[in-house]
Amino acid sequence: MSLISSIRTIATWEIKRSMTTMGRGILPIAVGLLLLLVLVTAFAAESGLHLQDGMYRIGVDDPGTASIVASDTRFATYQDDAASLWENRFSYDIVIINGEVYAADTDKGRAALNTLERDYESYVASVAAAEPDLFAAYPLWIDLQYVKSEIDFLATQSGQQVGAPVETRRPPSPSLPVEEVTPPSQGRLTTEEELREHLVEAGDGQPLKRYTSLISGESATDRLLTPSELSLPLPFDTIILVFVFIFPLYFTSQFFMMSVMNERVGRAGEALLSTPLRPVAIVVGKALPYFTIMILIAAAITLLARAPLTILLPLVPVILFFLANALIIGMTSRSFKELSFVSIFFSTVATSYLFFPTVFANTHVISIVSPLTLVVIAIQGDGFTAMEYIYSTALFFATSIILFYLGIANFREEHLFSEIRLISRVVDFISTGISRNHPHFSLFLLAAFMIPFVFMAEMLTLVLFFNIPMPLSLLLLTITAAVIEEFAKSIGLYAIVRDRPGFLTPGNLLVGATVTGLGFLVGEKLLLFATLAQITESIFGSILFLSLQALWMPLLLHIAGVLITGGFLLLGGRRAYAPGIVAAGMVHSLYNLYFIGGMLL
Amino acid sequence: MKRRHIYLIAKKEIAGLSSEKTIVFAILLQVFIAMFSSFLMVGLTAMYDPEAIEGYSTVTYRVGYAGAESPLIDEFGERDDLILYRMDLGAALAALRERMVSAVVYVPQTPPDAEGPITVTLYLIQNDLQSGVVNVKIKEVLQGYEEQLRETRADRLIYSPVELNFPDSGGGESFFEFVYGLLIPLLVFLPAIVSAALIIDLITEEYQRQTLETLLSTPIMFTEVIWGKIAACEVLVPVQAGAWLILLWLNGIPVDNATAILLHVSTSGLVLILLGALVALHYRERTSAQFIFSTALVVALLFVMAVPYNPLNLVVRLAVDSIGPIHWYVLALVAAATALLGWAITHYARRVGEKTP
Repeated sequence: MSLISSIRTIATWEIKRSMTTMGRGILPIAVGLLLLLVLVTAFAAESGLHLQDGMYRIGVDDPGTASIVASDTRFATYQDDAASLWENRFSYDIVIINGEVYAADTDKGRAALNTLERDYESYVASVAAAEPDLFAAYPLWIDLQYVKSEIDFLATQSGQQVGAPVETRRPPSPSLPVEEVTPPSQGRLTTEEELREHLVEAGDGQPLKRYTSLISGESATDRLLTPSELSLPLPFDTIILVFVFIFPLYFTSQFFMMSVMNERVGRAGEALLSTPLRPVAIVVGKALPYFTIMILIAAAITLLARAPLTILLPLVPVILFFLANALIIGMTSRSFKELSFVSIFFSTVATSYLFFPTVFANTHVISIVSPLTLVVIAIQGDGFTAMEYIYSTALFFATSIILFYLGIANFREEHLFSEIRLISRVVDFISTGISRNHPHFSLFLLAAFMIPFVFMAEMLTLVLFFNIPMPLSLLLLTITAAVIEEFAKSIGLYAIVRDRPGFLTPGNLLVGATVTGLGFLVGEKLLLFATLAQITESIFGSILFLSLQALWMPLLLHIAGVLITGGFLLLGGRRAYAPGIVAAGMVHSLYNLYFIGGMLL
Repeated sequence: MKRRHIYLIAKKEIAGLSSEKTIVFAILLQVFIAMFSSFLMVGLTAMYDPEAIEGYSTVTYRVGYAGAESPLIDEFGERDDLILYRMDLGAALAALRERMVSAVVYVPQTPPDAEGPITVTLYLIQNDLQSGVVNVKIKEVLQGYEEQLRETRADRLIYSPVELNFPDSGGGESFFEFVYGLLIPLLVFLPAIVSAALIIDLITEEYQRQTLETLLSTPIMFTEVIWGKIAACEVLVPVQAGAWLILLWLNGIPVDNATAILLHVSTSGLVLILLGALVALHYRERTSAQFIFSTALVVALLFVMAVPYNPLNLVVRLAVDSIGPIHWYVLALVAAATALLGWAITHYARRVGEKTP
């Protein structure tokens, strides 16, 4: 009970304090800026964004042709007579004479030609939409229906190609009983007026319309489409939508980070630490107001967007993850600029981890590594299962809890007020986790606790390399995954060597490597079976998590990796750490490549 | 103000940056952004040109066909990457659910020259990358069919659009607009934004750590301290932006008018840095200053982008070499604004400096 009351005390104190430091005329200016933002957004919507204006130079001999590209600001249009156009054709990217299009034979010329073709298509479409007989201009309409596959994710796992063609002459016969299906009715699903309106809208290309319709739940499959409108779901819809949710959360976590930092700057926190309050009460109490504010902001956006409130569920682990990282960054940075750079770097990495998978929200199973995919799915009205929730959030919960624990364990005077380098401080944090009396048991636990971070880093590389052409992406994944794992495994050993150089004897190294390898394997198995079964089924997954095959081989590999790095440390001292990781990473990669080779051939 | 004092402060700040290795994070950050741009590239290609994603697949897909006979069957016959099976609709959908076929098409009994539209139903698997690829392939088939139908019904059309004859393009140039129209301005302006955030930290830190008094007890004046910090931040802008241009060039992305681009970036960067310095001098506390500055930055960037001939657009045009001398006028305008801001900063810093003991 006393813990709860002290958390409450700290929380109220935190709110009061942040109100006073932020007081100095921040609020009116913030409100003013917000109003300004609304005005500027309206202005930008009115005038359009002029980023790519005049990229291409186009010469035309006829005002009718000029009108085709008139609305596309990417073209700087010059009108001239045919003869002089031809004479100066090299100063243009595209020249149109008598309806013949000539493009410069450069990358730019070809890009301009592509753009022109698209403009021409939409011009033709806009002319056709005005036809009195709409169904002569648009005779074919597509009714797009999505079918949920019974074996949903599990079959598309190979990432790029699916279904080896078996029998090509006879139609495939399904194994499950076939249900009688009534053919779709041919009564007009939509009236002619609506279709015409739809065409005008599509030609208009109002980008905002897409987002509003996505939120209001009006799905594209309700309407008929022309064949040219059939296309992949655009990735940017979901990205922008999700950005609305993430940006305020990221911003609020910055305040928490700064509040932690402020405890250290000017040693304001010293008084706090001298009170009988326990570090856990201080950290949780400080974090609580920010957590609450973030949840409230997310809920407010959800309500405003009239989206289902279930999207708050996947946001909770994201918020915790942001706060946990803010705590660690605030505790470890030496100066403001370090804080800025590290936090910007962290947020870029975290944002890309969260966002990029959602680009594939409707296309690929990889997308599930990001909780934000669940947000997108929920907004689209599909909902997500409890299993999917665990799949995509477990890593976030696990890493947040470990980071919070690390932060609380180190929330002590000697760690908060010393001016040491960021990396040394992080190593310090880790070495507090290594018990002096039971170093081997600590190494075992440390290796196991590293697993969520390793998986997260590997997921990030997966996300980054996912769309590089196949053999290369697999190779890159193999190598980076190996280096990440070797780094994570050896960090505990490194921390010990730094504190107690005498610890590292050949015997201790052997035992240390064995327990680390074992801990790694145990952590891997626990988390893998619990969460990532889906992704491990894919070819990308099988490369990251090769170790599922047999138990003794990965165990030996893990131990060997630590032994190599440890050997380098033993012989060359701490300077040899980086070469040691490279060497261990190489061995690890070769092992993995050998198995992929065996698997693919 | 003595130039030597400014130089001393600038040197101190840059030395601090490199000793703290924060600059390493700054570089890592930018490399990371460049790295995921390759990821965005595919996303954007899909947006500009969904057909491009087709290139990722070399497999033959099976498609179920149900309903009435139609010329659509012949259109499918012309493709060698799609195999069509005549099936009963129920069986076809069951096969689709088990992924034995990749798509199902249902064609109604409407004759080609009918009064109304022909509504073809296309069934695809939800949540699937393969569906995307099949979708694109079938789209081409359907467009061919649409073309046929349009010809059948041509006598019912009255308008005739301007005819253009396009040469056979090599195709697949979707990266150009992304790289030159988005990536390059982003990469070269990123150092400017980073530097502006940096000046806030440099100034507020002196206040919050109470190190300013020590610094001012030396013969260095407050305005010189501020300008030294500004100089340190400003120097980083062209260096980093220039490094980007070289890296791009090494990657086979030639950028025209590099000098002019660096001039534009440095000048606009200085505007941002001066604004940051102003905000930092006013608030003297990092949280407030960074909050106000980053909000203001969003407003300012959005506004600038909405104005024709903005510096970002000029960088794009310079990079592809499709601009005349007009960008020099804009540069002069921005430089004038910078000078004005610089004067304001000096004035403000002097006033603040006099108040500070």
